[in-house]
Amino acid sequence: MKAGDHNMKKYIFVLSVLIVLISAAYAAAGEPTAAVEASVNQVLGVLKDSKLKGPDAKKIKTEKLRIIYKSMFDEMEFSRRTLTRNWKNFTPAERREFVDLFEQVLEKSYLDKILDYSDEKIVFYKETMIDKDKAEVQSKIITSSNEIPIDYRIILKDGKWKVYDVVVENVSLVQNYRTQFNEILADGTPEDLLKILRKKVKDQS
Amino acid sequence: MKHTFFFLVITTWLILSFAPLCVADDQAAQDDGQTVSLSGDESGREAEKTSDRAGASPYDDDYDDDEYDYEDEPFSEERVTIDDPLEPANRAANIFNDRMYFWVLKPAALAYKFVAPEPARISVKNFFFHLGYPARFLNCLLQTDFAGAGEETGRFIINTIWGIGGLMDPAAGGKINLQKQDTDLGETLGVYGVGHGFYIVWPVFGPSSPRDSASFIDSHLLYPTSYFCPWYASTALTVFDYINSASLRIGEYESLIGAAIDPYTAMRNAYVQYRMKSIKARRARSLLFRDNETGQDATK
Repeated sequence: MKAGDHNMKKYIFVLSVLIVLISAAYAAAGEPTAAVEASVNQVLGVLKDSKLKGPDAKKIKTEKLRIIYKSMFDEMEFSRRTLTRNWKNFTPAERREFVDLFEQVLEKSYLDKILDYSDEKIVFYKETMIDKDKAEVQSKIITSSNEIPIDYRIILKDGKWKVYDVVVENVSLVQNYRTQFNEILADGTPEDLLKILRKKVKDQS
Repeated sequence: MKHTFFFLVITTWLILSFAPLCVADDQAAQDDGQTVSLSGDESGREAEKTSDRAGASPYDDDYDDDEYDYEDEPFSEERVTIDDPLEPANRAANIFNDRMYFWVLKPAALAYKFVAPEPARISVKNFFFHLGYPARFLNCLLQTDFAGAGEETGRFIINTIWGIGGLMDPAAGGKINLQKQDTDLGETLGVYGVGHGFYIVWPVFGPSSPRDSASFIDSHLLYPTSYFCPWYASTALTVFDYINSASLRIGEYESLIGAAIDPYTAMRNAYVQYRMKSIKARRARSLLFRDNETGQDATK
């Protein structure tokens, strides 16, 4: 009886050490996913909010969503990556305007898509650590007729994971915009690009 | 027993709560290191720069060290471009396709969508996809993706019998879980290492390349309805397939175009990225060509 008890204790000790180790490993691996998932869930919370109805609903939802994605995305990183080397040809004032305009273009383009959301299932299924401070979190939206893969590339900055690229159906947004901006800047000035962006923002609203 | 449990809970909690802090500290240290190395060297904007870190805004950083060239970026291998010697013709075809979509295809798809309920349209989509089995099977074999060929065959049998001739897709869900192997001859050639060549926009069919245009061959020769008589019966079915798929994807083209600064370039890049990644995925499944993927890419 006594010996059995001792064995039991030993067993529990080994087990608890194992569990602690495993949970620590799991926590380390799951952090990027947890960060993205938390933000996505916040977005879903706003979209599903049944109290938000009526004519003002869209406006209120938009405001609420803006706060969420401001903390979710790293718009500086996003913008800089689309400009790459061209970034240094922009003056700080031009950069500021570029980031601002680009953000507006993105918001206007994707907001309606996001507001269209109607209870599709979102599954986070894979996470790849690319670097110590970079990871890719893969998810998919399951609609009635389709599965849309959406991958988030995220970077750790000041202890927070922030999204710097979104890959929708295998197409990286950063790369897509990069080719477009490169083409414009190949024989245009930063001001030319800003002009095009200003016009785009105006046309969208 | 009870103590062990509490010990467990507390240790787990401690580890969980301190792990992020450690990472954050690391990061802060790295950031500091970086600021030191980032001394400005462009004289023109020196005046606009503030020297102390607290006051420096990220907009003032030139980042003209190699870091922001993104050459060594983990995803750099995905940066793929395509030549576009036919650009004027392609742009014309692009405009033609755009008009076709907004003036013909979309109104037709909307009208059809109004009449046919979604489950019916999904069944139609499943059915047309089902008919593409011979082409997918053969391409899987050519790619030496025998597991894929098996999955496709399994899907064909299950969906023919339990999916009412392919109207439904019971093979994809639940315990069976046989996934679609949506592949074509262009991808097979890509797996073999054939490059995409240059960009072509086909009127009606859209973005393509010489390599991917090969997919017309298998999707015609191995598609059962191609052999229907008279010829317009087969064409009518193809058009029906087109309208049906469009009715399930309304809004996708619009949002791609809407978000683009230059729609033509955006489309071209999206096409190239998309094909490149599908071929990469196919290659990873291939028995013969898989090794190129795990080690250094032979094409680089």
